[in-house]
Amino acid sequence: MTVDTLSRVVIVAEMQGRDLGRRRLALILLVALPLAFYGALAGHSSDAIIPGGVAMAFSMAGAAIFAVLSSRAVDQRLTLAGFRAGEILAGRLLFLEVLSLPLVAGSSVLMALVSHPPRPWTMGLAVEMVAVVAIPFGLAVGALLPRELEATLVLIGVVGIQLSLDVSQGLSKVLPFYGPMRLLDGSLGGDYPIGAAFLMSVAYAAALLGASSYLMARRIRIRHHASPREAT
Amino acid sequence: MSAEQMLLSAAGIGKAFGRRPVLEDASLGVRAGEAVALVGENGAGKTTLLRICAGLLSVDAGEVRVAGRVGYCPQEPGVFELLTAVEHLVLFGRAMGLRRQEALAHGRAILESFGFPSDERLPARDLSGGRKQKLNLTLALLGDPKVLLLDEPYQGFDRGTYVNFWDHVDRWREEGKAVVIVTHMLAELDRVDRVVELAVHPSRRRGEHSRGRW
Repeated sequence: MTVDTLSRVVIVAEMQGRDLGRRRLALILLVALPLAFYGALAGHSSDAIIPGGVAMAFSMAGAAIFAVLSSRAVDQRLTLAGFRAGEILAGRLLFLEVLSLPLVAGSSVLMALVSHPPRPWTMGLAVEMVAVVAIPFGLAVGALLPRELEATLVLIGVVGIQLSLDVSQGLSKVLPFYGPMRLLDGSLGGDYPIGAAFLMSVAYAAALLGASSYLMARRIRIRHHASPREAT
Repeated sequence: MSAEQMLLSAAGIGKAFGRRPVLEDASLGVRAGEAVALVGENGAGKTTLLRICAGLLSVDAGEVRVAGRVGYCPQEPGVFELLTAVEHLVLFGRAMGLRRQEALAHGRAILESFGFPSDERLPARDLSGGRKQKLNLTLALLGDPKVLLLDEPYQGFDRGTYVNFWDHVDRWREEGKAVVIVTHMLAELDRVDRVVELAVHPSRRRGEHSRGRW
């Protein structure tokens, strides 16, 4: 990646951040949602960090969906102006990953202090992996579905089904947050190999990022015309 | 650059959305220093033809050729609702390879020429319709494009700015740009060099009549 490309990616990330930063209520909800899931269960279940951790997916995938859909009218114009689709996607990804860091850190510390999981570092890794998978998941859903309602329903459906299934059930294994759930289970003493769960999460995130990249490039592509013939 | 140089040519353009034909064998050619008005009834395909010329839509038939950079001003302002005008200038300027200060200097000069105060700090969402449209038009002009495709660019302009808009068109022609303006303002057609009229596709017109009988 050249310095010029990097600066173009950074400017997209900066503007995405300014746009979301002015939506204060949305920011508050992004922080509150996973904490609310965890808080509602923390007093009743020793496994509350699993839904608490996976609920991070609602926040980060929701933010990613919003980032894509709120820019829908502008993206193709930005491409016409000279940005490449990959630069816009990378800028958006950069912003969302940076946004996820304090959310992941805050949630992990809180859950570690309240629930005392046997392997707190694994739990921190698991929550980070939830964000790592959720962001490209949201980008892909936003690129695939043109309206907020449909995209939000898909998000609620996928994360909700994942949360309602036991981690050992067959359907759970094909859903995006299986790897992070295995890591969360591992932080509570589960014996699933942590390395395998980590790699599964990274592979799923990479596949979703590839899908979102393909969908976005198709949606906002510009047809470059040849120069006119002279003497017409 | 020769004043006769063809900067935009679209020939034999056909386009359908699903089974709904919009354009059939449409043509448009604009030379450097020429302003062309694109007129026609609602649904005649004016916006579709403009989007095809800009490269935003593919064609089913025909060919488009363009020389140089295209500046496209959509009918509905394609802007980020919560970014300010200055932030839009920086973002779009970067897309065109302009540094922050270059984009700001060039963009502010264009904004001010439309009577948009350069110290305006409201996000686009809170701008009046006219000011938002001025920002929309400014983004199309940023980077000094050779071909300007403007889809009803003056919507929401107050009378002074509207009159001033046609003075801008004259200046763009003098600068050698090729300008296409989709317009319903038939009273201003004497301000352009040529008028191209698009007719509603015959199959859709037949459909309207048959529906009318019911």
